Amino acid sequence: MRAALAILKKDLQMEFRSKESILAMWIFSLLIFVIFNFTFEVSRLVMLEIAPGLLWVAFIFSGMFGLNHSFAIEKENGNLRSMALMPVDGGQIYIGKFLSVTSIMLMFEILIFPIFVIFYDLQLSLQMLMLIPVILAGTIGFTSLGTILSAVSVHTRNQQILLSLLLWPLVSPIVIWSVNLTGVIINGEITASFYPLLIRVVAFDVIFFTLAYMLFDFILED
Amino acid sequence: MRSRIDKILLTILLIAFLVSLYLVFLWVPQIKASNVSEQIAQKIFYYHVPSAWLGFLAFFIVFVASVAYLWKRERKYELISVASAEIGVLFITLVLITGPIWAKPVWGIWWTWDARLTSSLILWLIYVAFLMLRRYLPDGSKRANLSAVVGILGFVDVPIVYYSIRWWETQHPKAVMASSEGSLAAPMFIAFMFTLATFTLLYIFLMKKRYQLLVLEDQVNKQFKEMELL
Repeated sequence: MRAALAILKKDLQMEFRSKESILAMWIFSLLIFVIFNFTFEVSRLVMLEIAPGLLWVAFIFSGMFGLNHSFAIEKENGNLRSMALMPVDGGQIYIGKFLSVTSIMLMFEILIFPIFVIFYDLQLSLQMLMLIPVILAGTIGFTSLGTILSAVSVHTRNQQILLSLLLWPLVSPIVIWSVNLTGVIINGEITASFYPLLIRVVAFDVIFFTLAYMLFDFILED
Repeated sequence: MRSRIDKILLTILLIAFLVSLYLVFLWVPQIKASNVSEQIAQKIFYYHVPSAWLGFLAFFIVFVASVAYLWKRERKYELISVASAEIGVLFITLVLITGPIWAKPVWGIWWTWDARLTSSLILWLIYVAFLMLRRYLPDGSKRANLSAVVGILGFVDVPIVYYSIRWWETQHPKAVMASSEGSLAAPMFIAFMFTLATFTLLYIFLMKKRYQLLVLEDQVNKQFKEMELL
């Protein structure tokens, strides 16, 4: 676990010094809100209906930045090779990278959410607190698959487009479920069917985290 | 590398496809439908469903070969996974083409964002991405490793994708083979099974050919490298 925490510490330190990822993600999300606003000129009622989808589009498009960045910085100075040579299990490196990407993404999500609330004039209520587990579970699903696929695509010439091509279809179940859950919280009442769906997202997280953890060794190998 | 087995296989395939066409279009009685175009469109079922099944089979083989590669590290498993992924994409492409051709006269639209349709499209996208990944990587053990990992992740995702979209209402006809409510009439069943067997044979034939081609490519590349060294 020490190696994983060391990677996490290093990544967070780099991020806090440069603020490269979070700032880019935040501004990009703002852009998405603006672009959506003038490409789909709709009434407030329709806007409320599409707001959950919009929130996740913003999260995920911006999340791509973070994922791309996460392994691109390692590649620049040949760090990837050194990491592969580290006398630790590949899974440790995966966990470290996963933790750093996830925490950076969560920070960005916390920063963009108030803007979302203001732009779409959402009514704050206690029910909104349920967004915390939903966003947490959705984000972890996205980053657990995203971290391993980012490590895959970093070896290619067309890193950024390839990560999107690989990750989008694979992560679509998570996006569908998360949008659904977010919609229930924002526009409706939480019913009994809410929790099984949330558990499904968590189950997905567990499956893909475990799988990625086991497979990560093969990615580092030369 | 035209072996005798290939010739025999090809001959059987040619005959089988002719027989299948005869069974589907002439032998099986027409279904009762409100208009002729719907009756004709129904024939697509005999090619649409086997293509879908073989697409799944092909992707399952990708998964098995990917696991085998990571385990045994033999080049042949890598080649099998690539060949099967290519053919799987081909079959699912056929599904995505024949589906709308059927839907237009029956539903009145080419495409709808229905559960079954959407998940098939996502499935197609997953394996197209798999093939794109290989295109962007230089040949070598790195490529083999990375694509095997994606081959495994992709296949594990397939049932989840289907599951995640299932709560949508589906317009897609029910699985007539497995459900109790609607079952196929005997002649339809025979024609269907025959076509399915023919398609399976086609898959085997294509796999064999594609695999041989990949092996040949390897040999040519190896000889080029040796010449460069000289």
